[in-house]
Amino acid sequence: MKPLRSDHVAAWSRTFAVQASWNYRTLVGAGIAYAMLPLLRRIYAGDPVQLRESVERSMRPFNGHPYLCAMAVAALGRLEQEEADPETVEKFRNAVRGPLGTVGDRAVWGQWRPICVLISMFAFLMGAGPGWSVALFLVLYNGGHFAVRTWAYAVGWEAGLGVGRLLKGGWLERWAGRMWPVNMMLTGTVALLVVDALVRVAGASLESEALIGVGAVVALAAFRFPRQGGRVAAVLLVVAPVLWVLGALVG
Amino acid sequence: MSWSELYLGPGTWILAVLAGAGLGMDSVSWPQVMVSRPIVSATIGGWLFGNPAAGMLVGLVLEIYALQHPPFGAAKYPDTGPAGLVAGAAYAASGGQAVGALLVSLVIGWGLGWVGTVTIYVRRRLNERIMSPDADLAADPGLLEQRHRIAIWLDALRGGVLVAAFLVPSVLAVTLAVGTGPSALGRNAFIALALGLAASAGAAARSSAFGVRGWPLILVGAGLGLLLVLGGLT
Repeated sequence: MKPLRSDHVAAWSRTFAVQASWNYRTLVGAGIAYAMLPLLRRIYAGDPVQLRESVERSMRPFNGHPYLCAMAVAALGRLEQEEADPETVEKFRNAVRGPLGTVGDRAVWGQWRPICVLISMFAFLMGAGPGWSVALFLVLYNGGHFAVRTWAYAVGWEAGLGVGRLLKGGWLERWAGRMWPVNMMLTGTVALLVVDALVRVAGASLESEALIGVGAVVALAAFRFPRQGGRVAAVLLVVAPVLWVLGALVG
Repeated sequence: MSWSELYLGPGTWILAVLAGAGLGMDSVSWPQVMVSRPIVSATIGGWLFGNPAAGMLVGLVLEIYALQHPPFGAAKYPDTGPAGLVAGAAYAASGGQAVGALLVSLVIGWGLGWVGTVTIYVRRRLNERIMSPDADLAADPGLLEQRHRIAIWLDALRGGVLVAAFLVPSVLAVTLAVGTGPSALGRNAFIALALGLAASAGAAARSSAFGVRGWPLILVGAGLGLLLVLGGLT
């Protein structure tokens, strides 16, 4: 039986929880099965044996970016409806999990989320209130989030086996490739404004050329060696209050 | 700020724990709308104690630190929802003005973020047990749904427990730091924090860049920021 619109809405809404049962054995596999259930129940209505077999197939190990998993849920549902043979379904699962992960990671975690976060921070640092700044982030980010999830589901159902072609070199990947310069510039601007805000909390001003120069060198060194840069940053975060408290104790 | 002025009643504590439960499950389990980001969670923490701007200030620094850890593949990243809430709440509860309190709040927020990461790994192991055996779950789709929902609630419980366990000790630790005044040595604390932020920003920019090209863009961005500061626009 063909899934109804309400089944699609239910499956789409369940993709918001697709990673909840993530584990080291099946990764997001159980979550995919959970999200597909409204579709599978309709497709195999009155046939519990087929339903059990399809749920078992759906629970097998799978991984991908959580927002783009909506594409896999819909495409796999489509394959079940078309009665594709299990071998084809398994090949499809193996073929799309790589692109679903890398394209989603690069576009959403690598670009969209940091850009929205940085815009919100910029707004606060330029004088917007904390409530407005947080609201700006949530509305902006989730506008993109909901759009990507909805697009992914719709395209997955329409394209079925063809979603792999849409992902590799698709608009999302191209967009991610264009946005990184904006992201980097925003990172530099906001980091400097945060330092200025902190310096002002301490009752000083950001006029030390030496500090700005050393900061620039440290930022570039961390860019070249990000792992070590992260460790240095963590150490400095701990050193700061130690210096402050020691100074207060010593006088 | 004195001890007598500090108010952390049971009502505020319960609200914080409930918020921690929601923030704890947001980043992975449901609904992934990113209220678990530090700028949001720390602001909520500040708001619980009547000073969202103080929470946001903590969130700004934690966010720059968190941006260097995107959840690509199997990468480890800090669990910033409950941690941001605790740090923002602790700073706001301390009055949201003392420099020493801010510095201690930041360390608590970052450290608790990594404690949260450990609890996420424990929960993933627990999920392995909850979501098995496959044959039983496939035979009874209702059971699969039930177990999946249990996994969501477990994540909420994880976030709530983190806040319940760490909120009061954090508020006390941060409040202790309120009394520490500025000193010659203490001024270096801000140099350390500023350089830490610079290192974080560099590492964060690399995680979004495709390769090592484009490094001058960080400097261009910082230069624009400096113009805004020197122009008095901030």
